[in-house]
Amino acid sequence: MAGRETRTDNRLRLTILGGYLGSGKTTWLRHQLFHRRYGRAHILVNEAAETPVDDTLLQQHADGLTLLAGGCACCVGRDELLRSLRRLCDHRSQQASHTPRLERIILETSGLADPGSIAEAIQADPMLVHHILLDDIIVLADAANIIHQLGTEQLGRAQIEAADRIILTKADLQSHSMLSTVYATLSQLNPGASVSAAIKGEEIDPAFDPNAPPVPLPALGELSGLPAIEPTRLKIDNSVDWAAFSVWLSALLHARGHDIVRVKGVFDTPAGLLLLQGVRNSVQAPEILPPSSTQRANEIVFIGRNFAKEDLGKSLRYFSLSDG
Amino acid sequence: MCSACGFPTKPGHWTDAGADAAGDKLQLKFRRAKILNKILSGYGLAVHDDGLTPGLQLRSFTGRTVIVPDLEAVWSEAEAQTGTALDPLDARFLRAAA
Repeated sequence: MAGRETRTDNRLRLTILGGYLGSGKTTWLRHQLFHRRYGRAHILVNEAAETPVDDTLLQQHADGLTLLAGGCACCVGRDELLRSLRRLCDHRSQQASHTPRLERIILETSGLADPGSIAEAIQADPMLVHHILLDDIIVLADAANIIHQLGTEQLGRAQIEAADRIILTKADLQSHSMLSTVYATLSQLNPGASVSAAIKGEEIDPAFDPNAPPVPLPALGELSGLPAIEPTRLKIDNSVDWAAFSVWLSALLHARGHDIVRVKGVFDTPAGLLLLQGVRNSVQAPEILPPSSTQRANEIVFIGRNFAKEDLGKSLRYFSLSDG
Repeated sequence: MCSACGFPTKPGHWTDAGADAAGDKLQLKFRRAKILNKILSGYGLAVHDDGLTPGLQLRSFTGRTVIVPDLEAVWSEAEAQTGTALDPLDARFLRAAA
């Protein structure tokens, strides 16, 4: 009986969507869900920081969504991930066979996760291994930043190496020759993965130049001395308005863009709730969120290294009182 | 953001996105100039924003004035003029806030 239940073609499909901080995972996934490219899919969103933002963007197009906040699913949040997957499998097993059943789970990992470790954890789970078939690891790579990440972050390299499919995002911000160089570098690092390109989730034909040379990368041992990247949540009180915050953050990113790899959060302004998303020293034009996201306003997550957590708050206080 | 699945995106530099109505925009410009002047005065720099002209005027202690389009450009120009990036996590700001 057990044998019939665990036939390969009956297992729940799992897609792992990984990629470094700010590589565009949520943007890409939102586009795929909007176009129903994944059928009946349940979305698991994992965010390393305690302040989740991405679920707000995804929930309107998903069949179901579970948020795994407060721990990266490849390490400290692993148990919570496995529990959630077991719950989904249980629920599916209890459904009658003639009712439409869940076909796929898409796990959007945090930008700090190694998809390879997650795949190993699922394979090592005695229950999940019979119910879940991991059929695709998609890793997104920010075309502008991936070369720098590969040169400075072990994690960035581990993510690329774990991929079945690599998608270069923000491809419109790079020249054709740069895209070809990135393609050659990624292909050298992970020759087994397909590499494509997308702009805001829409696949494009990048026409990579097959003769472009790859960028030489430093040996992994040379990267081991760097301090780890950590998330810091900054709660902003009412005395800090948008003028003070934007002056402060723009200065901070100008000076510390290489240390602060990701900024994400919601700020309440006279123009509405702005969703701030920054990667290194570049911040996207903020989106205006629906008013229902109020509960998370004025909490900004900084992910980076080489700064003391409490200094962010102190420094912002100085900037916000500066009209006195 | 994609026009099919995205929320509306504010055009312009991200730091300008916090004000929409004309009055709010003016208030943002004036308050921003005030904050910038407090920060920049320690570096011998000053900004002027009359509320009408786009961008900001950045003046060095020598009297040299440059018009910059946005806050990002303010920090780049300040770095170019003083030779060092103005770091909000610098001890001088942290000490003053303590």
